[in-house]
Amino acid sequence: MNRGRAGATATEIILKVENVSKSFPGVKALDQVSFDLRRGEVHALVGENGAGKSTLMKILSGVYQADEGVIHYKGSPVKFRDATHARDAGIGIIYQELNLIPHLSVAANIFIGREPLTRFHTLDEKKMNADAVAILARLNLNLDPTVILRDLPVSKQQMVEIAKSISLDSEMLIMDEPTSALTESEIDELFTVIHSLRNRGVAIIYISHRLEELKHIVDRISIFRDGRSVSTDDYASITMDEIVNRMVGRTLENKFPPKRNAPTGEKLLEVKNIVRAGVLHDISFDLYRGEVLGVSGLMGAGRSELARAIFGADPIDSGDLTIEGRRVSVKTPADAIGAGIAYLSENRKEEGLAVKMQLSENVTMANVPEISKRFGILSRKQEMDAAAHYVHDLGIRTPTLAQVVNNLSGGNQQKVVVAKWLFCNSKVLILDEPTRGIDVGAKYEIYELINALANEGAGIIMISSELPEILGMTDRVLVLHEGRLAGTLSTGETTQEEILNYAAGLMNRSEGNPSGERT
Amino acid sequence: MSQITTKDRSDSPIESGATKSRSRTAVDRFLTTGALVVLFTIFSITANNFFTLRSVLSLILQTSTVTLMGIGVTFIIITGGIDLSIGSVIALTGTIAVMAADANIPIWLSMVLGLATGVVCGAVNGLLVTRLKLPPFIATLGMMMVVRGLVLTITNANSRPAPEAFGTLGNGSVFSYGQKFPGIAFPVIIMIAAAFIFHFILRWMRIGRYTYAVGSNEEAARLSGINVNRVKIITYVIGGFLSALSGIILASRMVTSQPNGGIGYELNAIAAAVIGGTSLMGGSGTVAGTVIGSFIMGVLTVGLTMQGANYFMQQIVIGVVVIGAVAFDQLRSGR
Repeated sequence: MNRGRAGATATEIILKVENVSKSFPGVKALDQVSFDLRRGEVHALVGENGAGKSTLMKILSGVYQADEGVIHYKGSPVKFRDATHARDAGIGIIYQELNLIPHLSVAANIFIGREPLTRFHTLDEKKMNADAVAILARLNLNLDPTVILRDLPVSKQQMVEIAKSISLDSEMLIMDEPTSALTESEIDELFTVIHSLRNRGVAIIYISHRLEELKHIVDRISIFRDGRSVSTDDYASITMDEIVNRMVGRTLENKFPPKRNAPTGEKLLEVKNIVRAGVLHDISFDLYRGEVLGVSGLMGAGRSELARAIFGADPIDSGDLTIEGRRVSVKTPADAIGAGIAYLSENRKEEGLAVKMQLSENVTMANVPEISKRFGILSRKQEMDAAAHYVHDLGIRTPTLAQVVNNLSGGNQQKVVVAKWLFCNSKVLILDEPTRGIDVGAKYEIYELINALANEGAGIIMISSELPEILGMTDRVLVLHEGRLAGTLSTGETTQEEILNYAAGLMNRSEGNPSGERT
Repeated sequence: MSQITTKDRSDSPIESGATKSRSRTAVDRFLTTGALVVLFTIFSITANNFFTLRSVLSLILQTSTVTLMGIGVTFIIITGGIDLSIGSVIALTGTIAVMAADANIPIWLSMVLGLATGVVCGAVNGLLVTRLKLPPFIATLGMMMVVRGLVLTITNANSRPAPEAFGTLGNGSVFSYGQKFPGIAFPVIIMIAAAFIFHFILRWMRIGRYTYAVGSNEEAARLSGINVNRVKIITYVIGGFLSALSGIILASRMVTSQPNGGIGYELNAIAAAVIGGTSLMGGSGTVAGTVIGSFIMGVLTVGLTMQGANYFMQQIVIGVVVIGAVAFDQLRSGR
């Protein structure tokens, strides 16, 4: 992609944040933060979870008010009372979770709250649809404005959200993790839109955990850490290592810890001929004790579906599981847990945690009988002992064991889910995108944890869409393509390119040659 | 798994935090209890005869059945459900017990039959919600109509007197000393016992933990191996059982069957739970809160009556209290 830009003289500062601080009970979320944004630039804002990015964004979009400090917007000091105030001033924000109404049409979503009316004060659908087409055309999007939003893929919904901001004449756009739910090609599409917005002079703050994607779009980068702004640089003048080091405040020599585990020859789990009509086609593989087995594939290849099938979360049409040589029948998650299988869902908050409940209650959730052996009566002491044990072992940072999980950072929440499964004495852990939405430092800790678990004799199945993670962490890789096992590769002998070829269906080793496995 | 080590382990010792976490709920409890005490004090000062032993005991007796229903519906609401069939179940179970007693079945057995009927009604509610995957509002709305129709059909809408001994449960008391002390009524003892038992179940037993887990995040609970359907059915059965207990107590107090009785009681029970801090979104609520909630309603009803406010006025005040309690909660939990 061409990083050259139309108006190369785009240096007018649209937003200037000076020494802004914001405290919440017990936390100083922002501490004397300064930051500036120019017209026609894409300005990346990076930092670990809890670095203060979200808090600053919420202040800029009027959700929170700063305790101290000044914000200059278009040359004059402003204090946004609420979200509407900021929006009317021309600041658009696109959250990770889209703020759209799934049951309404694309056009209705774009114009919600300011629908064009006819003379008789009825909705002027015709004008609305025509205007919507015009706005979508500015983004080079060819979308039918009458389509109901929920029938569109997430990427298109996001485009609708962007279109909505554009239609409000936003001069400044904040994007919070916009690519987290998108596929590769959809990301390209999004970047094209971002480029055209920038060229039209829109100032964009781009927040992302995916550092490797920044190179395609970013002009400048600001790094936050622990509520402070650490630095602002031209993206071209900073290296990835410098970015990561400033984010974590220490030098991370390697992104991945050295491997400590070694697969043994002992088969822990045998998966045979799993079929789920239309989703999974005759998938078989083995998992060895002490092994980290990667699962790779494009979005929609059936990675999570495979995990859910093994775990009994989704019904399967046929297939057998053998654990430690014993056939097991898994029809429900309870069966799987009983057999020693654990599943960390990629949707931590939706499927992994009861976020309103306490840390200790979440740790024991999948094995409550263990702490209620006598007549089903809970032992608070056993529960606390278990929670304290894992908080210590996994390094979960929390003020108390009774902390409501919602108040923990993403990395610590993920550790709570890990603790939940360790408390079930799981032998096979299926980790679905275990580092998604987690900051760099916490990622490293999760990696160490995976290695340690494998080293202690567990079998790990790690699903990941980040190829460096697959290559850095696993012993073997299963590559799925359209619900089929396209290949089983030995990590030490493969490359990103080879995995991608299998994932794209360009190569296939399993077909008619199940012994293609190398161990 | 003790060798697992990670960087940056927090070295500071972690306390259990039990005191800290409960401080929030303790504040909540303090506020609702405080509201109850304030109301009680106001009425004691302004209304003659309010603060007498006899009228306080009578207040507790009158509130006992709504408390029982409220405790049952609290379990259901915590899972994210609702039960609109309570009033109809009250009528049916009371009627079944009276009819059985009338047919010369021993009183205790008649009452057990009534309780069993309530359990069956609860189980049907639970099965409709879990097996047919009906929204709880619809399932129990349907059951409210079906059960009401059923009790009216089998009785032809006529009240029937029960044998005199049937009235002991509702009208008897212990520690009675004639004029000096009227005694503690049996329904009050039942209510207190039920409150303790179900508080214990909800707070300290596996099924109670599962009840909160299902209401907090049903999918996470399912993927944690919790049998979500079973948990839901059990909560509806608990609701049916406690409705039946109320129905039998009410029939016993009247010593008649009341096929037209209990209409709208479910709304009082839900109001008690909500005033006591149970969220209709599921995941939160306590037995103690509901007990306090139903007593706030009881004190208001009795107090306003003594001050000469008619039933219509009372409805207005209680409605305002329900709205106010939830609005207050929203404001406090917001930023």
